[in-house]
Amino acid sequence: MGAAGSKLEKALGDQFPEGERYFGLENFGNTCYCNSVLQALYFCVPFREQLLDYYSNNKSLADADENLLTCLADLFMQISSQKKKTGVIAPKRFVQRLKKQNEIFRSYMHQDAHEFLNYLLNELVDILEKEASPTKSDQETSSPTEKNANGPTSVHDNGDKKEPLVTWVHKNFQGILTNETKCLRCETVTARDETFLDLSLDIEQNSSITSCLKNFSSTETLNAEDKFFCDKCCSLQEAQKRMKIKKPPHILVIHLKRFKYIEQLGRYKKLSYRVVFPLELKLSNTVEDADAEYSLFAVVVHVGSGPNHGHYVSLVKSHNHWLFFDDENVEMIDESAVQTFFGSAQEYSSNTDHGYILFYERVPNGSTS
Amino acid sequence: MSTYFLRVASAGNTSNSVRPRKEKRLTYVLNDAGDTKHCAGVNSLAVLKSPATDGCEYLFTGSRDGTLKRWALAEDGATCSATFESHVDWVNDAVLTGSNTLVSCSSDTTVKVWNGLSEGYCIKTLRQHSDYVTTLASAEKNSNVIASAGLGGEVFIWDLEAALTPTSKSGDATEEDCSNGVNGSGSSLPMTSIRPISSGNNISLQTQSQVYIPVTAKGHKESVYALAMNESGSLLVSGGTEKVVRVWDPRTGSKTMKLKGHTDNIRALLIDSTGRFCISGSSDSMIRLWDLGQQRCVHSYAVHTDSVWSLASTPTFSHVYSGGRDLSLYLTDLATRESVLMCTKEHPILQLALHDDGIWVATTDSSVHRWAAEVRNPQKVFQRGGSFLAGNLSFSRARVSLEGSTPVPVYKEPSLSIPGTPGIVQHEILNNRRHVLTKDTAGTVKLWEITRGTVIHNYGEVSFEKKKEELFEMVSIPAWFTVDTKLGNLSVHLDTPQCFSAEMYSADLHIPGKPEDDKVNLARETLKGLLAHWLAKRKQRFGSQALANGEAPAGKDVPTRNLTASKIEVDGSADNDAAVYPPFEFSAACPPSIITEGSQSGPWRKKITDLDGTEDEKDMPWWVVDCVMNNRLPPRENTKCSFYLHPCEGSTVQILTQGKLSAPRILRIHKVVNYVIEKMVLDKPLDSLNSDGAAGVSGGQVTHPANGGDGIFRTGLKPWQKLKPSIEILCSNQASLIP
Repeated sequence: MGAAGSKLEKALGDQFPEGERYFGLENFGNTCYCNSVLQALYFCVPFREQLLDYYSNNKSLADADENLLTCLADLFMQISSQKKKTGVIAPKRFVQRLKKQNEIFRSYMHQDAHEFLNYLLNELVDILEKEASPTKSDQETSSPTEKNANGPTSVHDNGDKKEPLVTWVHKNFQGILTNETKCLRCETVTARDETFLDLSLDIEQNSSITSCLKNFSSTETLNAEDKFFCDKCCSLQEAQKRMKIKKPPHILVIHLKRFKYIEQLGRYKKLSYRVVFPLELKLSNTVEDADAEYSLFAVVVHVGSGPNHGHYVSLVKSHNHWLFFDDENVEMIDESAVQTFFGSAQEYSSNTDHGYILFYERVPNGSTS
Repeated sequence: MSTYFLRVASAGNTSNSVRPRKEKRLTYVLNDAGDTKHCAGVNSLAVLKSPATDGCEYLFTGSRDGTLKRWALAEDGATCSATFESHVDWVNDAVLTGSNTLVSCSSDTTVKVWNGLSEGYCIKTLRQHSDYVTTLASAEKNSNVIASAGLGGEVFIWDLEAALTPTSKSGDATEEDCSNGVNGSGSSLPMTSIRPISSGNNISLQTQSQVYIPVTAKGHKESVYALAMNESGSLLVSGGTEKVVRVWDPRTGSKTMKLKGHTDNIRALLIDSTGRFCISGSSDSMIRLWDLGQQRCVHSYAVHTDSVWSLASTPTFSHVYSGGRDLSLYLTDLATRESVLMCTKEHPILQLALHDDGIWVATTDSSVHRWAAEVRNPQKVFQRGGSFLAGNLSFSRARVSLEGSTPVPVYKEPSLSIPGTPGIVQHEILNNRRHVLTKDTAGTVKLWEITRGTVIHNYGEVSFEKKKEELFEMVSIPAWFTVDTKLGNLSVHLDTPQCFSAEMYSADLHIPGKPEDDKVNLARETLKGLLAHWLAKRKQRFGSQALANGEAPAGKDVPTRNLTASKIEVDGSADNDAAVYPPFEFSAACPPSIITEGSQSGPWRKKITDLDGTEDEKDMPWWVVDCVMNNRLPPRENTKCSFYLHPCEGSTVQILTQGKLSAPRILRIHKVVNYVIEKMVLDKPLDSLNSDGAAGVSGGQVTHPANGGDGIFRTGLKPWQKLKPSIEILCSNQASLIP
């Protein structure tokens, strides 16, 4: 493994970013779903920084009470504080904790990376919310979030009554969707907001993220047996419904629904469709006037032809270099290689490496293109 | 024999299966304002100009309250001269054809043909649509052609003469009889005689043969919201959520063209008398003028700032009146593109009808107004100034209005008003399950007693929420009815068997002359009240002896069903059968209407006072007939409820019972007290009782296996016992009683 590390160091040469660490993660038997997501999260710089901040402010807490958050913080700390620039680390404590906590991930079966990411983010939110709630009753004790008032992590801390807590996890990943329903009789529009941590998109052959997002926001008509009860009309009427992104998140996580349940087969099937994901993405279906602009920084790739087996790797952009993380191995790749993970236009193709979860970071408008 | 089979079949699916299929429901629509006003928005207008006999002109209005009304017009006002009541949902459109034929369509999926000058006589119900019928079109010079269209893209073209030709179908005749006009007695063509008296014996199944089928215009993939036909009936245009205007040949139903341009739903259409030009109004806020000969849009007019919902043109097609969601009525010169704001309303405009030198305007409010209009010389209006030039881009008007240059309306006040009553927009069923609190469009809050259909309190304009809290009662009665307000009035729905789940003590309802423990079933008494008139008529018709043994002439199959399903309710004594108790007496001045459906035809609606006694199980759900005539209620799985009586926590009083206690579904609390006293005081020597007065008997949970915990007792009972037999029963620490 030393060889691999040094090879990467050689490849980067004096361009090796100051203070950055590129470490592979050991596989404990089918834990690639976990490794690939962890790498993507590690190179989600605002998330990593805030997690490390949290860690440095809560060392004592971490010892007392181990949870997924402390284990993750511990792991990130371990990577970032390595003396060597490259190498391999075993995320043993984290994986143990994960298996202990959730029986779904306990087996040695192939796991779904998106399910893991979703579980992890929600778990982190829960832990932060739990930590924040007792501090409302006793303000004196050091609250992990409140104490760190100078950092970007400071949570909305004036103990507002009903407002849901906005943790730094929310600040990074949470966006707001608005569900607009227009009664076709009185044409009154009712809007309901819902939050999301990632967007799951249905995919089509030979499409793009932009077109998938368009479908996501397309209008659905509620009619026939499925009419809408309009409060204004006091009766069931036809209505048009559509989803819009009201508040685009800072980190936009897009999950491509590549695993589809096929009724005739009675099982899930992997869709290897070619879905183009651009390096720079404009989100136009927002409620806000201006388009939100995003830059791709990580891709979790599913390797294999079926849903129940295969492998996960990740592509990560760090300091303008693209890196390929495959458990222990870390390699540098060319940016142009990213497009080989779009999927295949033919159903049976030798290339089974397909982008599965995409991580985009919002950039100030005008800085892309 | 075939009849017998038919009737058994209809009953069989309800009684034999363990889990019965959904039964037909009975709905009654309450009314506190009489019959001469609409109580919901008016969707359609039609003017009858050529008076047949009396030289009077009429306006027909079709409302969301489900009725149509005919208004006799005079110089200074309009009086309601007939109500056309048969639709069971919103009336969406109405047109006049021939000398006095009125055709209406409804969200109840039917098209109905009426004699417009009758007292409300429905000639025919056309059941071809499978979803809401939204719009109709007639041909001015061909009284035989009518087109109807609706949701799901259904468009039908009717040959009225063929559609109205009576067939030998007796089933059809029965249906018309029952959906026949409100004021049935005054109806010009009484139909009651057509119905076979002993309905069973002469209905046969093979009469379903010759059914008229209209021409179908196939091609709409989505719902249709607007239609228009030229005067000869040779051209039909339709529009809807597909955003295109489709042109059809109504004689064949074939498509002739498709006109694209609108960017949202098309809500209004007009064709000129020659059939060359077409005007459309859309939710994209635009009005477009199409040249059907050239198959293109010749003009688009940005007049409104929101959706255009209604159009009316001058006879020469030189000017168009338009109204819509922006509450405004405009007049636009189609050639010069000049527009002028005629008036602004308080509600979105749904329909327009030109009439001499005025224009009738219908809105989502129940009132209809006539405004002055220059029909013959519209140019006059423009000479007064205040007009603007209509742009041709949809946002141009919106921008103009944003900039604050709102035009001043030409007219401030209507020249004539036909007032309606405010419709109910909010409701809350109170815990006692007899009272419903409502709020109407005028903000008035009222309390209704639904068991006799009257308003018992009018609180005026007060806070609905506060009044709701104020009226809160700590009681729990099973939900035996549901309510909706889509018709602007309270519609109370009764479904079997759940509607029979609520009982009350006669004494609590102040029904005199009953034993203390006498209980009544709320749904049964309500049904008796609703159908009292029907029952009386029936007795007149068939003689009282027919009813003496609970056996109706039409009810030959009832004993059959009785074997399988019905169980004679033993709670009620035999003598309480026919009498309607005062708490269930429905008003004769403002009688409610019932909406229901029997084993044949479709749903119908009629005032309870207009029922003539001929209605039977073909017209009404069998369970309603069975309940009212034979005093039979559907069997109940649990007629008892069980509860636990436990000593109060921390008390030293001995446990009275180990197991659960069983009681009828309602039980007076003093009976529980008596039980406790009996157990504690009478069974035990007095000195064994705790004398400090603080000891208690602790209460346990009352559970209701039946109906998911609905019952008089909800959660717990905590009896307290003091030295002198003074006992407090606590129900979930909330309700208590010290005898």
